[in-house]
Amino acid sequence: MKYASLKKEDLNKWLEHLKKKARLYAPRKKENLFVFRPVKNVKDVCLEYMPTILPPKKYYFPQKEKLLKFTVNPFKTAKAIAEFEEYILFAVHTCDIAGIQCMDVIFREGPEDPNYLNRKEKMTIVGMECFKPCDKYANCVSMGNHVPRGGYDLMMVDIGKSFIIHINSQKGERLIADLSYIKGANENDMRKLEEKRQEKKKIFKEELNAPLPKVYEAFSSQGSFDSPLWDEVGRRCVACGNCTAVCPTCYCFDVADEMELSFNEGTRFRIWNYCQMDDFARVAGGEDFRKGRPARQRHRYYRKFKYPVDKYNRYFCVGCGRCSRTCMADIILIETVNALLDPENAASYVGSVKNRPEVK
Amino acid sequence: MKKQPKPKVAFFDFTDCEGCQLQLANMGNTFLELTELIDIVNFREIMSEKGEDYDIAVVEGSISTDNDVKRIKEIRAKAKILVAFGSCAAIAGVNGIKNRTSLEVAKERVYADKAHTINTIKVMPLDRVVKVDYYILNCPPYIPEIIAVFKSILMGKPYPLPNYPVCVECKMNENVCRYEKDQECMGPLTRAGCNSWCINNGNRCYACRGLLENPAADGAKEILEKYGLKVEDILNHFTLYNDPQGEKYDQEFAR
Repeated sequence: MKYASLKKEDLNKWLEHLKKKARLYAPRKKENLFVFRPVKNVKDVCLEYMPTILPPKKYYFPQKEKLLKFTVNPFKTAKAIAEFEEYILFAVHTCDIAGIQCMDVIFREGPEDPNYLNRKEKMTIVGMECFKPCDKYANCVSMGNHVPRGGYDLMMVDIGKSFIIHINSQKGERLIADLSYIKGANENDMRKLEEKRQEKKKIFKEELNAPLPKVYEAFSSQGSFDSPLWDEVGRRCVACGNCTAVCPTCYCFDVADEMELSFNEGTRFRIWNYCQMDDFARVAGGEDFRKGRPARQRHRYYRKFKYPVDKYNRYFCVGCGRCSRTCMADIILIETVNALLDPENAASYVGSVKNRPEVK
Repeated sequence: MKKQPKPKVAFFDFTDCEGCQLQLANMGNTFLELTELIDIVNFREIMSEKGEDYDIAVVEGSISTDNDVKRIKEIRAKAKILVAFGSCAAIAGVNGIKNRTSLEVAKERVYADKAHTINTIKVMPLDRVVKVDYYILNCPPYIPEIIAVFKSILMGKPYPLPNYPVCVECKMNENVCRYEKDQECMGPLTRAGCNSWCINNGNRCYACRGLLENPAADGAKEILEKYGLKVEDILNHFTLYNDPQGEKYDQEFAR
């Protein structure tokens, strides 16, 4: 069985089943936005949602993660977490799955990162394919992440009265095995799936003004690197770090030790850290290798569209649109990249604050 | 660990509401744990003894009279380590509002016909008068930070203040950004370290920890204007807690 079918009225039953199998995280509403949270009541799970405030990366690369415990006298270190628990990320969008694939590239590159791998091993991903573009900030079509491209265990597609579930791993198969209400998909289901995909092609349009190789080319030219456009982006930036915090592929961290009041026991943590912070590239002696907000913003963009392509042959923008959506200064990725694609106008690019949120 | 004599700690207050000292009392058991490591010799709010022999002086409140200047210098001379405790001591805090008008006007507003009896000077944070070794920010101080600073003092290492905005911690806490709800917030310009305490609890950031070393005044002004704030409102937001720093922004925003 490669494709299974689940009737919508049986969804909650399945969620209850998943809850028993492992810790279940799914999107739910938080004020006017969405967040991934542990599922307490399956009725709170939202299947139609805008990208969450933070991507699910908080579960495999936590904001503040215990690395090890230690004592000073006698000097001893021990694992901070003896055993990691199994967990399921439910209804993950394809853009966020692409984010997990990027993290995998980073943390599996030698020397492998055991802290990430410990958590990754226990993860099961149940994806949810989008059929409605979320808003003007997302650029998932240009990045090729609006359709499933692997990296998940199960992928759900809403075909009206039921979900088609693509089974992509044994781990995924185990979550639907031996359930009377989940059956193999029939021909009719598969036809509907095909129809949905055809329909989707008509609705989802590329958001960037040029295909990716052209984007890469633009980022590779010295003119782009030196473009006054970055001064304009940096002028508006307040270095709040929101764009990097919400990015599914930003993985920078700092490591800090915290002592107990006994001054003999302590814990080593790693904490998210961002290239947008003032002190990020400052070293002993006060030298700053990336001075000023324009240079730091430029670095962020190059870390998405240029450097990882050179190093891993992979774009590190997944197109979720979070950085633009969260930016109170309206530094919008699509706008910046499109401006850069047009060297003649890039020099005179003026961004503006114009996207006042609609308050309901 | 080798048994060392406990450092003697004294608490003092200047112009303020004494809410910072109250936060110590609010620490509960952790405060008792702390007293295992330090000897409190002077703490008006919780004890009647008044020791004048101390290693560490924890001082709250701003300097606002000539007598304050004399007194803080005396404290500094006796203490090996001086801690500015809370917004008033560290950045002058709300008291700084007084600096917006002339001293004569300020005195008359508060004391009316008795104004001539009052000795007062421009409000200052402690470090305008004496050297400060450690800062505990916030109004009132954030308990985990109080503990963190005391740990640093007892280990003899510096406590570097975060030089990034409250947004960094706020986003880690996955709060809905107030700007996304069309509400203003000083988070983007305010030094972090409070774990976005106010926003976690549905309030906005008032910049009580002081501004960043390098705030993006230009960008921030544009953002605040986007949300319909007038220049005076923006200035009030900037200076509610930060007038000694606000003087600077006064000029920037007056342009």
